[in-house]
Amino acid sequence: MDALAELKQTFFQECEELLGALEQKLQALDEGSVDSEDVNAAFRAIHSIKGGAGAFGCTELVAFAHVFEASLDHLRSGRVAIVDAPFSLFLRCSDAVADLVSAARNDEPARPRPDLLEALSQVGQSEAPKPVPAPAAAAPTKRPPVKSDDAPPGIAALGNLLAMVEAKTGAASAPVDAGWDDEPAPVAAPKAKPGREIRLHIHPDTDLFRRVIEPRVVIALLPPEDIVSVVCDMSHVPALEAIDVTDCWMRFTVTLRTEMSIEEIHAKFDFTLAAEEFEIEVEPMPANDDVEPEIEVAAPVSEVPQNVAADLSAILAKLGPASAPAAQPDIAPAPAVTTQLVTAAQAPAAPRPAARPPANDAVAARQRQAVSVRVDLDRIDKLMNLVGEIVITQSMLVECVRSLPYDVYAKTAEGILTLSRQTRELQDHVMAVRAQPVKAVFQRMPRLVRELAQTLGKEVRLVLEGENTEVDKTIIEELADPLTHMIRNSMDHGLETPEDRIAAGKSPEGTIKLVAEHRAGRIVISVTDDGRGIGRDKLLAKAKSRGLVGQDEKLAPEEIDQLIFAAGLSTAEVISDVSGRGVGMDVVRRNVESLGGRISVDSEPGRGCKFTLALPLTLAVLEGMVIRCGEDRYVIPISSVIETQHLTNTPIEHLTFGQEVLRWRGEVTPLYRLGAVMGSSGRPDENIIIIAETERGGNVGIAVDEIVGQQQVVVKSLEGNYGTVNGASAATILGDGLVALILDVDSMLRLAASSGRPPASALKMAG
Amino acid sequence: MTLPLGEKHFSSAQPESAVRRIVTFRVGDRTFGIDVGMVREIKGWQATTPLPHAAPHVRGVLNLRGVILAVYDLRTSIGLGVTDATATHVIVVVDVEDKTAGLLVDSVSDIVDVPVSAVRPAPDLERDEHGLIEGLVLLDTEIVALLDLGAVIRDGGAEAPAARQARVA
Repeated sequence: MDALAELKQTFFQECEELLGALEQKLQALDEGSVDSEDVNAAFRAIHSIKGGAGAFGCTELVAFAHVFEASLDHLRSGRVAIVDAPFSLFLRCSDAVADLVSAARNDEPARPRPDLLEALSQVGQSEAPKPVPAPAAAAPTKRPPVKSDDAPPGIAALGNLLAMVEAKTGAASAPVDAGWDDEPAPVAAPKAKPGREIRLHIHPDTDLFRRVIEPRVVIALLPPEDIVSVVCDMSHVPALEAIDVTDCWMRFTVTLRTEMSIEEIHAKFDFTLAAEEFEIEVEPMPANDDVEPEIEVAAPVSEVPQNVAADLSAILAKLGPASAPAAQPDIAPAPAVTTQLVTAAQAPAAPRPAARPPANDAVAARQRQAVSVRVDLDRIDKLMNLVGEIVITQSMLVECVRSLPYDVYAKTAEGILTLSRQTRELQDHVMAVRAQPVKAVFQRMPRLVRELAQTLGKEVRLVLEGENTEVDKTIIEELADPLTHMIRNSMDHGLETPEDRIAAGKSPEGTIKLVAEHRAGRIVISVTDDGRGIGRDKLLAKAKSRGLVGQDEKLAPEEIDQLIFAAGLSTAEVISDVSGRGVGMDVVRRNVESLGGRISVDSEPGRGCKFTLALPLTLAVLEGMVIRCGEDRYVIPISSVIETQHLTNTPIEHLTFGQEVLRWRGEVTPLYRLGAVMGSSGRPDENIIIIAETERGGNVGIAVDEIVGQQQVVVKSLEGNYGTVNGASAATILGDGLVALILDVDSMLRLAASSGRPPASALKMAG
Repeated sequence: MTLPLGEKHFSSAQPESAVRRIVTFRVGDRTFGIDVGMVREIKGWQATTPLPHAAPHVRGVLNLRGVILAVYDLRTSIGLGVTDATATHVIVVVDVEDKTAGLLVDSVSDIVDVPVSAVRPAPDLERDEHGLIEGLVLLDTEIVALLDLGAVIRDGGAEAPAARQARVA
């Protein structure tokens, strides 16, 4: 049960990736790509989703994906030209699939989409079939390969497998291919067909099922009328107790009588099997020999497996009479046939190279798969923890070594220096493992834009750049919200309606550009639109009416633009569902700043607007200043610190209620004593003042005893085993193994404001 | 896919012979116990970092192999003041309510098997420990008070009985 749940989880993860790929390919096609590989990739994605969904019994998903796949198949087969295809419909369908996947994931009832299903089934109906080579044209109409069975296809495959295992263990005496009742009956009728005899040895890798491919899908890729016989070889199936049902041990030999060329057959398996998973043997007989077929028709049915049995003789002997009753008498002539076949296989050397490119692609794709490994994030976190521990242990070692006599010290110190360099390198690498491309977030945006464009009645083109820019997964998780807000804002407030755009002499379609890049150790993401820009007059008027700006105050245009981040300001004339309750950009700014990031805006009236978001590359490590107050040490993020100075150089004044202020750069800045606010133990002397920046943009002075140093610290959660701690955002472990709190300036100020009162949070903290 | 191997084993565990394996430890002259399954490890005292304005029994946080956990002073919880921790004091690391926590005690004494039937409900007398004691076990020489760890960790300490009463109500 656990294993299945885990497998299911993996499937949903894969679904997300597949959906991303699907959408991306459809988008490319929608934007004018005519690359058939894009169509194939889209088809593959939906096919894999369908296969997996079947295995996990997500029937709604299977049903929808099935119809979707079928209509994509029309494109793939050329029945519908790529240029004529309704990609906007397909994109909406891909959204619907995403909905179905998330419904299945959350065990919610799925919303039926009869409208889309209806539209999908129309695809390919109105179009007249294009002239395609006869066998190829016949095949697609018979597809989709897995007919709408009662049972979902994946389960059917497992059922088949079980039936076969039974057959092998003697539990059932049914013929081997009993489960394959939907295969065309291996009768002699097709023999009358023109064409030559081709033998296909399919020996898939054991991970076939895990690739969400099943043998019957593979075989159904071949035109059914060409199939003479299918024989399953199960001699590789391990003993029942050792069997893993997710492994595929079956091998097949399919005898075809077909006019297809080797390349065509290769192309059939283009994306289900790797080149090394099947071999094609051509019978030496001439393809258009009139006499030969007649002899074959005369041959008794039981002789059909004779061809198949050729190089399976040894296997068949093992399988015994129950599995292949007709095979026994054919064992003797087999070797002769085999040699004949080997030469035959080498004969069609000429067409082979032509068949190579797709095969090579498949190999390359599999190799790419092989070099990437899916790792649970927990494991990486543990690795990260361990590295942190090593860093601490190593700094402890440094302390110990200092007390050694000089000659020993010199040598040991050298070793420790090397160790510390290696540790840092190790840490970098582990961080790199955690890094993910921003694609994970970016690929959700096209859907958002599409849906919003429909709601708002605007035409929008989304351009994504730098999707492969990598940042730590902690940041990835935090990116989605601000980006969604920013894009909503641009679409709602920035971009004009098509009519307005035409009136302004722009193209009716607006563009939003989402760009990610690394800059100076940060990730910088910008959202640029070519809309009307920020309405400064309106914004200023509103800010004045809300009292955020004095009535007579004069602001530079750039300063007015920044007002968009002030709380409670929204300039949309109509408050829409999309954005515009004034809880947009100010929330974004606050969230971004709490992550140690910055957000800014550049606007050009009539030309557009650009929001720029700069975030640290990780939340797992931060650059901090280690400070001491009394006996306790704290870390304050460097990003909060503006400057530090000696108390003696700074005039302090006392206000009422013990509030102290200091003059700093001509401004009156409140001063807080860290020891008092955080309840530090020992007697603080507070000689140093740190000027820090608050989220609201103001500055405060924080009095501390000493600045111990500046270093990178690993951020550790306090919530995990305790609860939120007022004044601190998290904690870290210092070189001596002791914990230090990482100060959060704003939280500290709130704590200072509430101190004197008993901390109400103390009781609920641990619960 | 797993074979029902455990079934036989399970049925042999008769209710009357069920035992609880208890780790006992001392604070002052008193003995407390918790189920051995809740104990993750036992380690010597290690300096903690105090948390601002935390409840009195929250001694602070420490680093256990890269994980930060809070240490609770059991002495404070039962109203006997603050432990003057030395190298001989012990932190019992426990898993409680999907958190890991440390319990500061004087020493760990023993592991004993106690029949479930021998566990008596806590008398509702001792005001200071109301809610902290899950049950009592009478051994030959002493009385072991079984702790309700969830309550120990939540409880604000003896100095805040009003708050505790509010919670109970």
